[in-house]
Amino acid sequence: MDPSEREQYRAAIHGDREAFEMIIRTHSRPLFAIAYGILQSREEAEDVVQDSLAKAWKTRWRVRDPEKFPAWLATIARHKAHDVFRKRRTVPLSERLIETVEPEPMNTTALDQQLHSALAALPELHRAALTLRYFEEMDYRTIEDTLGLTNGALRGILGRALASMRKQLRPALASMD
Amino acid sequence: MATIHDEIDTWLAADLHGELSDSEQTTLHAHLLDCAACRKTHQETKVMNKILEETLAQEKADPAFEQRMLAGFRSRAAQRSVLVKLLIDLMRLRATQIAAVAAALLGLVQIGRMITGEPVTAPRARERYAESEVATLQPPESRPSQAGALDKSDGIAAGWPQDLALEPPASLVAARSKFGKEGKVSATTAESAKAAQSEAGDVAAYELPENATVGKEAAQSPVESPAPELANRKLIRNATVEVEIVSFDNAVQKITAFANEEHGYVATTDSQKQANGKLKGQIVVKVLPENLDRFLQKIRSLGELKNQTLGTEDVTKAYLDTDARLKNAHVMEQRLIDMLKTKTGKVSDLLQVEKELGRVREEIEKMQGELKYWDSQVQFATVTISLTEKDMEEPAAFLLKERAQLSLYTPDVEKIYNETKSLASAKVQITNAQLNRDYSGRVSAQLSLLIAPEESDAVIGRVKGFGRVENFQMQTQRIAQGGSGMSENAKTKRDKVELNITISREEQEQAFQQTSLRIRTSSADEKAKELRALAEKQGGRVRSSTFSSDPNGREVASVSLRVAMKNYPALMQSLNSLGRVENVSVQRQDRADAQIDESNAPADISIQVYTQGNIVTEESGLFATLRRTLAQSANAIMWSLRMIGVAVAFLAPWAIAIIGVIWMVRRVIRARSKL
Repeated sequence: MDPSEREQYRAAIHGDREAFEMIIRTHSRPLFAIAYGILQSREEAEDVVQDSLAKAWKTRWRVRDPEKFPAWLATIARHKAHDVFRKRRTVPLSERLIETVEPEPMNTTALDQQLHSALAALPELHRAALTLRYFEEMDYRTIEDTLGLTNGALRGILGRALASMRKQLRPALASMD
Repeated sequence: MATIHDEIDTWLAADLHGELSDSEQTTLHAHLLDCAACRKTHQETKVMNKILEETLAQEKADPAFEQRMLAGFRSRAAQRSVLVKLLIDLMRLRATQIAAVAAALLGLVQIGRMITGEPVTAPRARERYAESEVATLQPPESRPSQAGALDKSDGIAAGWPQDLALEPPASLVAARSKFGKEGKVSATTAESAKAAQSEAGDVAAYELPENATVGKEAAQSPVESPAPELANRKLIRNATVEVEIVSFDNAVQKITAFANEEHGYVATTDSQKQANGKLKGQIVVKVLPENLDRFLQKIRSLGELKNQTLGTEDVTKAYLDTDARLKNAHVMEQRLIDMLKTKTGKVSDLLQVEKELGRVREEIEKMQGELKYWDSQVQFATVTISLTEKDMEEPAAFLLKERAQLSLYTPDVEKIYNETKSLASAKVQITNAQLNRDYSGRVSAQLSLLIAPEESDAVIGRVKGFGRVENFQMQTQRIAQGGSGMSENAKTKRDKVELNITISREEQEQAFQQTSLRIRTSSADEKAKELRALAEKQGGRVRSSTFSSDPNGREVASVSLRVAMKNYPALMQSLNSLGRVENVSVQRQDRADAQIDESNAPADISIQVYTQGNIVTEESGLFATLRRTLAQSANAIMWSLRMIGVAVAFLAPWAIAIIGVIWMVRRVIRARSKL
C-alpha cells in the first residue's frame, strides 16, 4: 500500500475529518457499486453508502490496522446492503405493489429487464463482484482486496457469474444476433 | 486441454477483462482454434460482456454522487467541539484505557486502606524522618546554608536552633575541627580549647555532643596528678590457682622444686583424704614478685588448670601514711624522753609523761609491725594453690534400694489386714497401715512395710499367700553415695526393702474373662432355678438375676454369675443340659503387666434364659389384621367426606354467584324483548 494512502487511513482512524472526507471522495463509488450489486436500486444503494459512511466515522476506532480500512468499509457497506435487502423481502405485499408500480425509466428495454432479473438470480457476492468490475473497471486484485477474497478466487466467481447470465440470456442474445 | 475446456467460462471472463497473462492467452487461443463449442461460448460471452458494459454503465453513479455523499456525511456526522473530540479520541486510545483501569485499581486500593484504617501517610512520614536524620548527620560546616533552606519545623525536628543560619565564629570552627580530628589533646591544646570554649560559651549548644565531651576531657586532663614512678610503689601481689592433678604427693614435690627454682619457699601445706581415698589440699607458696608469672606458668604444667586469679593490691598510700605517722611518733617519743631527762615538775606529771611515753611506744611498735608485714608481703608474692586429684567425685559406695508393690484380692479384707499387721517384728517395720470403708460398704486396706533385706523374700512370700495376687511389682534402684557416676571399686550395700500392700475385696476385682450367652428353653423360670443350682455346685456365686415376661408369652430370665477360672469349663459344659445354647461371646482381658494366678481368677458369666413366645404375635393375628384394615378404610371414607365438604364450601359461593348473574341477565333480556 502507498505510504501516503496508509497515512491518510491512519489519520482518518484518529479522527481527522479532512482525511476521512478524502476517503469518501475516493471510496464512495466502489461502495456504491457493491451496494448496487446487492440491491439493484440506485436510491437504496445511495442510502446504504450514506449510512455506511456515517457508521464508519462513528466506529472508526475499531480498526487497528490502517491497511485494512478499505476492506472494512466494504464490509460495512455489504452488511448494510444485505440488511436492506432482507428487510425489502419482508416488506408487506401492499407496499411492494406500490413500489413496483413506480414508473421505470422510459428507455428500459426487454433486454434490460431480462438482464436485471438474471442479475437478481446471482448470489450477492457475485453481483457485488460484477458491479465493481463493470462500474469501476477495477482490476481483479483490487476487487479481491475490497471484498476480502483470497488470491485468485475472483476469476472463478466472475467466470461463473458471466456464464450463468449468459445461459439465462441466451434466448435474448440469440434474437439479438 | 481438458482443463481449459472445463473452465472455459473463467478463462473467457478473465480474457475479456484483460486479466490473462501472455502465455495464458496463447494457450486459450490455441484451445479456441481446436474446440468449436468453446468458440461458440467465446462469442456469446463477448456479447454478454458488451451488454453488461453498456447496461451497467447507465446505472453507474452520476458525477455529483461524491458531493452528495460528502454533504450527507457532513450533515450527519456533526462537527464536535474540539475538547469533546479530544476527550473521545483519548478514550478510544488503548493506553488511555489501560491508564484508566490502573487508576480505578489504585482508587480501590486507597478505599481499602481507608476502610482498614491503615495509615495512608505513613510512607511520607518515614521520608520526612529520614530527611531529618540526614540533616542531623550533616557536618556543621555545611549546615548553615542547608538550615536556611529548610522550613522551621524541619529545623526543630533535626534538633538545630533557628539561629543556626548565622555563620558561627571562625575561631570556634577552627577549635571544633581540631577536636574532631584529634582524639587525644595535649595540655597546651587543651588550654587553647578552654579559651575558645569560654569565648563561645553562648553558642555551646551548637557543639555536637561528642565534640563537647572531648573538649571537656581535654580541659580536665592537666589537673590530674602526674603518674608516679612504679618502682617506689608498694604492691602486694596475690594469686590463687586451682589445679586438678593425678597424684597429690607428686604435685607437692614438684611445686616445692618450682618454688626453689624461683627463689621462693613453700609456706604451708595442708591436705585431706576423702572417703573414696582421693587427696585434696592447699599449698601456699611465696615467690619473688618478679618471678610470679614464670612460677604460675610452671604450675600450669602440673595438671588441668581449673581456675586462676591474679590480684594486686596497692598499699603505697597506707604505707606512706603509716611511715609518716611513725616518724611523728618517733619525734614525740624523743620529746617525751627529753621531758623525763630534765625531771622538772611534779611526780604526778612525770607519771603522766611516763604513761604517755608507753602509749606512744606501743603505737610505734604496732606501726613498725604493720610496715614490716607490708614489707614482707611486698617482698614476696603469695600463691595459693588448690590441688585436687582426678575423679574426686567418684562414689565411695552404692546402695541398693528395693521397692515392691503388691495388690491382693481376698474375700475378707479385715482378716488379712490383721494378719499382715501381726508380721511386725524387729526386722519388719510397719510404717503405715490403713483400713478404708466407704459409704457403700466397700472395704480396702493399705499397708506399708520396711523389711530388713535378709528377711524380705520370706515376708513377701508369706504376704503373697494371704490372698489372690492381682499385681506384684518390684523396683530396684542403685544409688551412688558420696559422688556420682561409675566406680569399679565401690561396694554395693542392700538397703531395707519397702513393701506397699493394697488389699481389696474380691467383689471389686475385675473379671479376668467375661462370657455372655443365651439359652433357649421351654420354661425360663424353671431353668433359671436349675441354673442357680448348677452354679452353686461349681462354687460360683450369683451376682444378680432378673426375670421378665412380655404379652406375647416370651419369658426372659437373666442371671449373672461369677466363678473361678478353674471351674469355668465344667460349668459351661453343664449349661448344655438346660437347653440350646446360643450367641456365646467370650471376652478375655489379658493384662501383660500383672502376674495373675489364672486358675483362681474370677470369670463372669451372664446368661439369658428365654422362651420363644407365641409364633404369631397379638398384633399380627388374623383378627388384628382385619380390624386394622377396617379401621383404615373407615378412616379413608371419613377423609374423602371431609374433602368433599371442603370442595363444596369452596365452590358453592361461586356457583351461587354465577347462577345469580345468569338469572339477572335473562330477566333483563326478557324485559327488553317485551318492549
